[in-house]
Amino acid sequence: MIITKNISKNFGSFQALSDVSFEINKGEIVGFLGRNGAGKTTLMRILTSFLPASSGTVIIDGDDVSKDSLITRQKIGYLPETPPLYLNMTVKDYLKFAAEIKGIPAKNRRRQFDSVMAECQLEHVASKTIATLSKGYKQRVGIAQAIIHDPKLLILDEPTSGLDPIQNLQVRNLIKNLKDQRTVIISTHILSEIEHIAQRVLMIKSGKIIIDESLGSLISSHNPCELNDKNSDESSDKGSSESRAMNLEDIFILYHSEQKSDQDNNKNSALVNHHE
Amino acid sequence: MNKVYFIAKKELMTYFKSPVAYITLVLSISIFNVFFFIIIDQNREVSLRDVFHVMEFMFLFLLPIMTMRLFSEEKADGTMEFLMTAPVTNLAIVLGKYIGVLTFFSILLSLTLIYFAIIEFFGSPDRQTIVSGYIGVWLEGAFFIAVGMMTSSWTHNQIVAAMMSYVILFLLYFLINFTQYFSGPAETIIQYMSTLTHLEHFIVGVITVGDVVYYLSGIFICIVFTRLSIENRMFQ
Repeated sequence: MIITKNISKNFGSFQALSDVSFEINKGEIVGFLGRNGAGKTTLMRILTSFLPASSGTVIIDGDDVSKDSLITRQKIGYLPETPPLYLNMTVKDYLKFAAEIKGIPAKNRRRQFDSVMAECQLEHVASKTIATLSKGYKQRVGIAQAIIHDPKLLILDEPTSGLDPIQNLQVRNLIKNLKDQRTVIISTHILSEIEHIAQRVLMIKSGKIIIDESLGSLISSHNPCELNDKNSDESSDKGSSESRAMNLEDIFILYHSEQKSDQDNNKNSALVNHHE
Repeated sequence: MNKVYFIAKKELMTYFKSPVAYITLVLSISIFNVFFFIIIDQNREVSLRDVFHVMEFMFLFLLPIMTMRLFSEEKADGTMEFLMTAPVTNLAIVLGKYIGVLTFFSILLSLTLIYFAIIEFFGSPDRQTIVSGYIGVWLEGAFFIAVGMMTSSWTHNQIVAAMMSYVILFLLYFLINFTQYFSGPAETIIQYMSTLTHLEHFIVGVITVGDVVYYLSGIFICIVFTRLSIENRMFQ
């Protein structure tokens, strides 16, 4: 579904992405992980053709993003980090405009509109101005505009950030329902969410992919003694809780704490040099 | 082409769904009415010549306010990402927005056609002069809108967009006052660049190819620059 080859992106002298390559198959749910500024949003913007890559190619469903941009855009539903909403429009008018601009034929527009309104549970706020909606509803409207043209690929940039736990659950359930029909790329800082939704993880650090692995194998490779722990005696419960199984959050911290240790090493060597 | 229409319709709807459209229409028409009365009362002639001059001067201030939000608001609100990732060309986005504001401006200008009816009722005005005057004012407004849209594509700040628009338009409008300091080709160029020179021809009933080309090429250049600006993501 997606093939990226040696994607790099520079903003002046700053290199946001460096030689990023990966493939995502049809129907896969992939979680993009990384710290703020790691390059997740830049990568998503390149996939959606909002930003051109400095070098490298992106092929989506057989079409090159840079050469056949309009065709690939038709296949993508994109929810940016800030939902792109016209606040003075009503939900109905906004989604109608989204349907029109995304090229849905006039005869199917009504059906698609009704379908996303039901899927995102927006029927009872249809006539409300978007500015008056809660953050959770705004996020759902954002998701509705992303899926209104029934895209093959859905790209969601932090779809649950800033939501309360209930809204979070609602949006997560909505994404769960969407994943049955589409390839989904989701970026989030809530790692438990990735554990619930994603099948595969791409971890980005300083513009480079450091992990590209299925979620199951990633977790099991960091928990080699997991099976032994399960078979261990009840008396060792206290001990095993101290050395509990690593979850995605632990793995994330593990990979990102290296930087800190590098810094510590540099600091120590600087001190040594100073004393010498 | 359909998408140009959808974007233009949305732009127009944005104006009319907020008080901006109504306040702009009521205020502009009220001011025009006052000037129309004063001019007709003083001149005692069935001509709209001075009314067109007032309109031109008013549009110089009004149109940048109408156009300043076109792209800068989209950038500030993040909706530019929605437009630019939708299956629609950048040219269609630019044209859609331009036609949307141009339609609003045309509605505003058409409301002043009542002046034509009034002087037609009370006298025998030179219809050709009035029609060419309206064409001139419409073309000039269309040019001002294109300039405003272009500056709006350069920034995410609406005020900055309006200020840059004022700088360009004031320069083009008052340029004619500096001809005395130049001579030869420079004087000719300054005269040609000034909006006043060209509108004056329309107002006296003369439509020349050069004047029409001036406005159309100005609009074309601004549309091209706007498209380049959003393509090159100057706002990022």
